Amino acid sequence: MTLDSAPDVPRAGFNFDNCRRNAALLQGGFKPPTTTKTGTTIVGIIYKDGVILGADTRATEGPIVSDKNCAKIHYLAKNIYCCGAGTAADTEMTTDLISSQLELHRLNTERQVPVVCANNILKQMLFRYQGHISAALVLGGVDKNGPHIYSIHPHGSSDKLPYATMGSGCLAAMTVFESRWKPDLSEEEGKLLVRDAIASGIFNDLGSGSNVDLCVIRKDSTEYLRNYELANKKGERQIDYRFKKGTSATLHTTIKDLLITEKVQVVPMEVS
Amino acid sequence: MGPDFDFTDTPVSTGTTIMAVEFDGGVVIGADSRTSSGAYVANRVTDKLTQISDKIYCCRSGSAADTQAIADIVAYSLNYHRNQTNKEPLVWEAASEFRNFCYNYRDSLMAGIIVAGWDEERGGQVYSVPLGGMLTHEACTIGGSGSSYIYGFVKEHYRLGMEMEECIDFVKKAVQHAIFHDGSSGGVVRIGIITKDGIERRLFFNTESGQSKIEGSQSFLV
Amino acid sequence: MSILAYNGGCVVAMRGKDCVAIATDHRFGVQAQTISTDFKKVFHIAPRMFLGLTGLQTDILTVRDRLMFRKNIYETKENREMAPKPFSAMLSSFLYEHRFGPYFIEPVVAGLDPKTMKPFICNMDLIGCPNEPDDFVVAGTCAEQLYGMCETLWRPDLEPDQLFEVISQSMVNAFDRDAMSGWGATVYIIEKDKITERSLKTRMD
Repeated sequence: MTLDSAPDVPRAGFNFDNCRRNAALLQGGFKPPTTTKTGTTIVGIIYKDGVILGADTRATEGPIVSDKNCAKIHYLAKNIYCCGAGTAADTEMTTDLISSQLELHRLNTERQVPVVCANNILKQMLFRYQGHISAALVLGGVDKNGPHIYSIHPHGSSDKLPYATMGSGCLAAMTVFESRWKPDLSEEEGKLLVRDAIASGIFNDLGSGSNVDLCVIRKDSTEYLRNYELANKKGERQIDYRFKKGTSATLHTTIKDLLITEKVQVVPMEVS
Repeated sequence: MGPDFDFTDTPVSTGTTIMAVEFDGGVVIGADSRTSSGAYVANRVTDKLTQISDKIYCCRSGSAADTQAIADIVAYSLNYHRNQTNKEPLVWEAASEFRNFCYNYRDSLMAGIIVAGWDEERGGQVYSVPLGGMLTHEACTIGGSGSSYIYGFVKEHYRLGMEMEECIDFVKKAVQHAIFHDGSSGGVVRIGIITKDGIERRLFFNTESGQSKIEGSQSFLV
Repeated sequence: MSILAYNGGCVVAMRGKDCVAIATDHRFGVQAQTISTDFKKVFHIAPRMFLGLTGLQTDILTVRDRLMFRKNIYETKENREMAPKPFSAMLSSFLYEHRFGPYFIEPVVAGLDPKTMKPFICNMDLIGCPNEPDDFVVAGTCAEQLYGMCETLWRPDLEPDQLFEVISQSMVNAFDRDAMSGWGATVYIIEKDKITERSLKTRMD
């Protein structure tokens, strides 16, 4: 039903209404605006009993740090998590979308979803968008076939690896893995290795910073260690900059009272 | 200006050396193992010998995303065909399916593929599907960025009617030469021998001893 | 020049103890030329929720209208008031729908949850990447200055009176160093039982 006064809610999917206008504006010499990017360090490794994912927590908008403590390890399923780098909105929305598809798949098949399935859905979606969705992902999880790590690039290619790094800090993190990763690490060794890889990204890459997030996925349990280590604590403030009341000059003030009063009126019922 | 995050805009490509040779009774396929994103090696242990059916494989070169996507689609389609007809697919069928994709989408794809395998009808066969989507049957073919460095070597040393072990040695040496000269080829040499019995995989390390340097469980090497 | 800076303006929101504050400047300009000084970029959209939109003015108004439409549909269907959290989720997906042809705005949401009365602040980039910190959010042409001011002046658990002084001083001192924002400011303090709106006396140049 379509009414002139109440049009239908627009249908799902991307909307391209503004594209021509925006192209015209850009033609007029206006720079395209910056989106929030997670110029990130994200990593994942396979260890003895499962996988460990790691991420830093900085989001940037050009040169500005727009979020000092964002979460880059996203939930996909109980046994599958995914780290995202690239345009923050893309990684967020892509992982959310795939997460709901995986849950529907699980309900349809009544089985735990395998990690390859998440990898396939993700790479097919990213390939369809031909790299316009800037999501660089490290996918990790454990299923009945064992632990798996995939690194997925924005154009839709994926690699199955025992250890992977992504984002602008991938070189820094990869040096740590290349020198110290070995098969059958214990959980403690694995966590330390991932921490060190993320820390080397945080301290050596400008696009990465703040804290270390970890996620340990074992055969039948998952542990999301948000802010596993606070690598950069804010300094204590020495002086109190408290303002005296009335420091800011006001022209006028209006106060809107929100107390809701309720009155119950009894309506007499007709009795036959 | 902020820090530059060009990693999202740089397409990942298998700047590659790939190769396939027919012999009496099967084919030998070979590839290096480097995947690069610009100057960065995104994966040093890539497997570019991708399975399409039991006895048909393809060697991928060009954009990693494009070739993976095509290989997945062709593998799915041949599997569907096999289930419908109850017959193992022919290498020629696989090759022409690759050709159809590469030709129809030649403007948007960057893929150079070698299809090789064994079937009941014609034995071991090698087909090449280069960039524009052409399909040719060849007894010995090379592909990828590293192949330019070994045209001379291949022309000099390839002979019709080589034995299997001779072919393996020939492919191994050719790919090793390409790895040496080409910056975007590297890592190990992966070789597959496809005969009527299926595939046998071999791995040649680029170390002095010829052995892997990784300690502990070897489960990741295959 | 970025299209986001075509009309100028800024918005900031802060969390306090059982209260939130949101502030806006009054300028509406076309590049360097000031057209009017009574354009408030903050809209009262629910009893205890405000939406601040900075960026291109035409998109500010369009986005506000489209969001109000979606919010009204939600409230009609659900027969209850929309809380800030679902509203932000709706805003985020609305903006991401236009991923490949975005609205040139940067939104800020501030409010109290109608049930629990817990403070909520949130901002996003122009394609809807949500950010929900526990201190403050900024948007607009003087975002850099605002980040600096807020980072030094904000403290946890500010009472409404102190919160007002902190947000006012942050705002005024930030936009005094920005030619594209200013020309008056309005601060809204949202508490459980009342909303206080104060107009600030600022430089008019």
